[in-house]
Amino acid sequence: MTVPKEMPEKWARAGAPPSWSRKKPSWGTEEERRARANDREYNEKFQYASNCIKTSKYNILTFLPVNLFEQFQEVANTYFLFLLILQLIPQVSSLSWFTTIVPLVLVLAITAVKDATDDYFRHKSDNQVNNRQSQVLINGSLQQEQWMNVCVGDIIKLENNQFVAADLLLLSSSEPHGLCYIETAELDGETNMKVRQAIPVTSELGDISRLAKFDGEVVCEPPNNKLDRFSGTLYWKDSKFPLSNQNMLLRGCVLRNTEWCFGLVVFAGPDTKLMQNSGRTKFKRTSIDRLMNTLVLWIFGFLVCMGVILAIGNAIWEHEVGTRFQAYLPWDEAVDSAFFSGFLSFWSYIIILNTVVPISLYVSVEVIRLGHSYFINWDKKMFCMKKRTPAEARTTTLNEELGQVEYVFSDKTGTLTQNIMVFNKCSISGRSYGDVLDVLGHKAELGERPEPVDFSFNPLADNKFLFWDPTLLEAVKMGDPHTHEFFRLLSLCHTVMSEEKNEGELYYKAQSPDEGALVTAARNFGFVFRSRTPKTITVHEMGTAVTYQLLAILDFNNIRKRMSVIVRNPEGRIRLYCKGADTILLERLHPCTRELLSTTTDHLNEYAGEGLRTLVLAYKDLDEEYYGEWAQRRLQASLARDSREDRLASVYEELLGATAIEDKLQQGVPETIALLTLANIKIWVLTGDKQETAVNIGYSCKMLTDDMTEVFIVTGHTVLEVREELRKAREKMLDSPHAVGNGFTCPEKRSAKLTSVLEAVAGEYALVINGHSLAHALEADMELEFLETACACKAVICCRVTPLQKAQVVELVKKHKKAVTLAIGDGANDVSMIKTAHIGVGISGQEGIQAVLASDYAFSQFKFLQRLLLVHGRWSYLRMCKFLCYFFYKNFAFTMVHFWFGFFCGFSAQTVYDQYFITLYNIVYTSLPVLAMGVFDQDVPEQRSMEYPKLYEPGQLNLLFNKREFFICIAQGIYTSVLMFFIPYGVFAEATRDDGTQLADYQSFAVTVATSLVIVVSVQIGLDTGYWTAINHFFIWGSLAIYFAILFAMHSNGLFDMFPNQFRFVGNAQNTLAQPTVWLTITLTTVVCIMPVVAFRFLKLSLKPDLSDTVRYTQLVRKKQKAQHRCLQRVGRTSSRRSGYAFSHQEGFGELIMSGKNMRLSSLALASFTTRSSSSWIESLRRKKSDSASSPSGGADKPLKE
Amino acid sequence: MKRTSKDGRCKLPDNTALKQQQLPAYRLQLSATGVLSGFFATGVFCLGVGIILILNAKSIKEIEIKYTEICGNCAKLREDATNFDKECTCSIPFYLSETMQGNVYMYYKLYGFYQNLYRYILSRSNSQLVGTDLKDVGNCAPFSKSHDGTPIAPCGAIANSIFNDTIILSYNLNSSIPIKVPMLRSGITWWTDKYVKFQNPSYINLSSAFAGTTKPPSWAKPVYELDEEDPGNNGFLNDDFIVWMRTAAFPTFKKLYRRLNRIQYFTEGLPAGNYSFNITYNFPVTRFRGEKSVVLSTLTWSGGSSLFLGLAYTVTGAVTWLASFSMMAVHLMLKDRKMLFIQQ
Repeated sequence: MTVPKEMPEKWARAGAPPSWSRKKPSWGTEEERRARANDREYNEKFQYASNCIKTSKYNILTFLPVNLFEQFQEVANTYFLFLLILQLIPQVSSLSWFTTIVPLVLVLAITAVKDATDDYFRHKSDNQVNNRQSQVLINGSLQQEQWMNVCVGDIIKLENNQFVAADLLLLSSSEPHGLCYIETAELDGETNMKVRQAIPVTSELGDISRLAKFDGEVVCEPPNNKLDRFSGTLYWKDSKFPLSNQNMLLRGCVLRNTEWCFGLVVFAGPDTKLMQNSGRTKFKRTSIDRLMNTLVLWIFGFLVCMGVILAIGNAIWEHEVGTRFQAYLPWDEAVDSAFFSGFLSFWSYIIILNTVVPISLYVSVEVIRLGHSYFINWDKKMFCMKKRTPAEARTTTLNEELGQVEYVFSDKTGTLTQNIMVFNKCSISGRSYGDVLDVLGHKAELGERPEPVDFSFNPLADNKFLFWDPTLLEAVKMGDPHTHEFFRLLSLCHTVMSEEKNEGELYYKAQSPDEGALVTAARNFGFVFRSRTPKTITVHEMGTAVTYQLLAILDFNNIRKRMSVIVRNPEGRIRLYCKGADTILLERLHPCTRELLSTTTDHLNEYAGEGLRTLVLAYKDLDEEYYGEWAQRRLQASLARDSREDRLASVYEELLGATAIEDKLQQGVPETIALLTLANIKIWVLTGDKQETAVNIGYSCKMLTDDMTEVFIVTGHTVLEVREELRKAREKMLDSPHAVGNGFTCPEKRSAKLTSVLEAVAGEYALVINGHSLAHALEADMELEFLETACACKAVICCRVTPLQKAQVVELVKKHKKAVTLAIGDGANDVSMIKTAHIGVGISGQEGIQAVLASDYAFSQFKFLQRLLLVHGRWSYLRMCKFLCYFFYKNFAFTMVHFWFGFFCGFSAQTVYDQYFITLYNIVYTSLPVLAMGVFDQDVPEQRSMEYPKLYEPGQLNLLFNKREFFICIAQGIYTSVLMFFIPYGVFAEATRDDGTQLADYQSFAVTVATSLVIVVSVQIGLDTGYWTAINHFFIWGSLAIYFAILFAMHSNGLFDMFPNQFRFVGNAQNTLAQPTVWLTITLTTVVCIMPVVAFRFLKLSLKPDLSDTVRYTQLVRKKQKAQHRCLQRVGRTSSRRSGYAFSHQEGFGELIMSGKNMRLSSLALASFTTRSSSSWIESLRRKKSDSASSPSGGADKPLKE
Repeated sequence: MKRTSKDGRCKLPDNTALKQQQLPAYRLQLSATGVLSGFFATGVFCLGVGIILILNAKSIKEIEIKYTEICGNCAKLREDATNFDKECTCSIPFYLSETMQGNVYMYYKLYGFYQNLYRYILSRSNSQLVGTDLKDVGNCAPFSKSHDGTPIAPCGAIANSIFNDTIILSYNLNSSIPIKVPMLRSGITWWTDKYVKFQNPSYINLSSAFAGTTKPPSWAKPVYELDEEDPGNNGFLNDDFIVWMRTAAFPTFKKLYRRLNRIQYFTEGLPAGNYSFNITYNFPVTRFRGEKSVVLSTLTWSGGSSLFLGLAYTVTGAVTWLASFSMMAVHLMLKDRKMLFIQQ
């Protein structure tokens, strides 16, 4: 009955015969899909995928080979395999085979167990999904089948609130005209309901017998991942029917408000759009991972260098000394020259020195990350009591990156806000209601609210509605005409549909939650919207049913920014009710109400200042004549497809008041944002919402403030406009008196200068950009300009952006800023962004779980982000860095001793230590203390990291572990190894034991060096551990104890008696460690290795303390002084900002209502509707859908047509 | 460990100190008093130990005589391996100006002999040496079997290269009749070596126990005839052999050869006077440009420790003290600034 202004191109194309040839198949050779209903034999010919999904990787048989194959694709593992092979060559082997194979097998086994567990859970969830039941029409009767047995071409029956099992062509439904409502939250994150409709010919196939005979054939595009389009044709009874997305029910949707429906399976299992969209998640690596890999490569290079040096040494030694020493030790048969001997010794040294690339590094890192993930899962402070959901670390590989985040990209709806609208305040003819007052009449603080208003007088009231200001109800009860008119408007002027299942049990189906909130408010205050027909609205006004005649609905759009209804009341008066944005409505008001206007404006400002969404309500009485004239004109206008401004909509109206709806922010959002901003994390809001809503939320969550120098709004429609707007914004930033530099560089040059100039900008700016402009700004030649401008701003809000654009923005920052990005969102429209960002966080506990499934971390409230980043992330980063530093240190200290020994043993690749010590050093003697540190260490208590957000900065600047720190660790390791070798050497060279026998035998030397090494690295880990828990004590002392226990066991007589050739060190421990000289040597080595470290740390603490050092020190001093408690001040805001028009950007059910299409056939007199108009309604609905999808700005007014 | 699965979603995480990361712990803090006092204490300790060790080392009497050049003709003779059966002796007189009090130990010291080469260390068979399996010569390359295939006992490069000079110390009491200084050849090995690591094969007759094996190529006599005087000191249990088999860590090393039997004139130790070493020169060192010497030394509680340890301790102590003073200076200088910072 209404016709959109322009015919959307998209629909035109979808209606045309599909052009298969242009479409490329997404995989395989499938060019088009044919599926015939009720004909399994026919469909089997094509071998379409079944509806069984498989996300698991292995089964029992393939696990071992596939998993091993995968593991050996890791460079580190292949490297160790290569070493193992080297060790099997006797000429080269300088170590027993087990020194490498034991750690390698351990590493592989741990990883395999982890993979197996992961896959087990995947199997479980696959099974759970595959075994869901659905009703399939087989041989003329409905049968229960598991989801995995559903085939392409089957007809299945869905019932209300069921998940759609596969991509279906909707055939018929319980609702009139084959309509059905679905919720697509899992697909695109939108929680509002969507309408799908069966094509007319099939919509009559309501009963099973007729469906069983249905033998239509669908020919359509091959599987693809485009959620919003589908093109195909139904061939049935020798005629063709075009199919579009409007006829499809996609897997993952949920059927709502529809008793049942039948659908024909078109795509099943992996071919469904849902599965096509959930591509395998890209494996994310942290920057530390990448750094680690680089460092391992460097170490490998270093290893080769050492090998070369020692090999040359060996060649020279063999040439000078070895040849003459041949009487005692002839060369190996294979060795014929000193050069060849050098070559062999190169490989031998590669084997010996391989421990500088620690095999246990990767496993330990995994273990630590796993520990951190468990801490996140276990965190009670990240547990949402309301939704009973704990935080969940879904990946265990990214934890330390949480401590390095610089940019947070946040979705708005459902993430910052709860997507719950609450009627919070109102202003009725100059009086404001809704303040929460305590007993004494003062404004009450949160948490000490009095009892809410009692609505028990009203049997139809909604119990969930809460209001705290009793005066409003009193006003209603007193019969204040303004108040009554106010609520009458709210109960009439909307597009909400009601459903009354039982008497008095009303359910409202609102297209936008705002409207739902308003109508519910009216309902509770005694103006109950009860039911509607296309021509009437029935309202229970203070208990009496009043039926208004509905003359017209002028639904909102972005230009008009208001919606109006024209009703005739039982007395016959025609009245226009209007609610809309203050900016539009206030200027159209009758000028005589100036005083009222100014008080209302004050109220509006006050509401907006509190971050509430406001609407202004007005009405106008129309006389019959005027209305008739207008209706006539409107009809003509619509027939002529004329888009001129409708005059009725701009007549003067009389002000009734204003409502304020709270778009409920999630708890703690402003505080979280403030805290994150203090931690130097930049927050960008990327939302699909309208600009006004987004900006409004920006204010209410304190991202935008009135103190800001300027908020730039970029809304250009063309490339040039956008460029110009960005340029202006930059110029303003540079021209401002705060600006440091004033030489503006040409944007085309996009030089580093641009960055530096803009980064020096002082003053606070914010940037708001809409999706249209963003599309231009993200083009290759402008993206840098955009990025620099945006990064110079304190806050960036992108509104009306598509999921793809969200991902693009993230990608842009990721690519050019070299900063760690985090994306947080709740809906499927955030999935792309979540997957793109370094870290994706999903808000769980909402309806859709797509975002959670794609995310790396999931929790249920935005405010937990501060804890995730500032506490868990910071600690993870700190621990990982400390761990890595220590790990490289200990391995260098351990391995380099061999290098020095090489100069004293003719470069013969003799190890300093016993081979068992080499095997066990990394996996037993030194692994647990450092793991305990990596898992439990804390530098400052968690409260402090919230109190001092600046503590987060070292992570962002990557200060704790970088190449410089790495070299310091290496240097320390080498220093230790030098002392570790030369002090015992100096002592042993001359000394004898206390019984006169030789002290400097090889085995005693080995035991002395090994013991002092274990002691030195244990003392060092003790120094590095900042937080000594019982576990740390246990592991550190335990490691030492284990070392001595194993040492004595290995050197015991019993083992020697059994394996004399394996345990050659018999008696060594007790003989060597009984010598005072040995202990004096060990003590000296420890002192000399540790003292410089302590001195250095102490001096650094005194001369150049970190913030964390200072915080810790302050802590210490405070403890002594019994300190006062600090607490974060809550930031209050007074704002002059006016909030905007508060509706969802999709049009409502206005047209649907007026057409009566969604009314039950029985309940309606449909006589007034011609068949022509009914079909045209569907047409126009379709157009509108595709129109609003393609051009968000929409058209001008919808002309009325009657 | 519990998994927070989708189904069991209403699980409140346990409120345990471990899971909430609230474990009671000691926070390590490098406080000024702690560090400085630690440094001072360490300094005192190191200096003390250093001085004691230096005094100790000073009290040790030691005399070393290199005899490669003194016995030059013998050395030359030994350079040619074919002269292995020609005996060469060499006498080295020396004068001991002071009495060597207490226990005196005689060592031989080799310079540039690499007992720590990888293949050298490996070249032995412990299962053979422990007497269980004489034929096990698997690790002994390149001295595992003789040309005719009989396994060598003891096999391996270590055993083959045994130090086989005989050194006899004589005391010229009245510058006329030299008295052979009584020396003990027992007690120069570790107890575990002598009683665990080395065992002869269990036969009544040692020579028959070693039947089916052959002596190492460089040896003059088979292993069961190493000591003609003491039949108990033969086979794998020969003390000199055991000492040699404990390979040295560095290319220059001294091994205990004999210790003074404190009887007769020598109850107090070695009195001052004229002595001479009578050396049967067998072990060739000039081939690999090595040197050998004989060492006489006394001992203290810490063993015959050299000056190195004492000096190292003293230096460390001194440096630690210096460091602690400078750290204290820095700390005191910055103390005011720090307090200011905290009050902010």
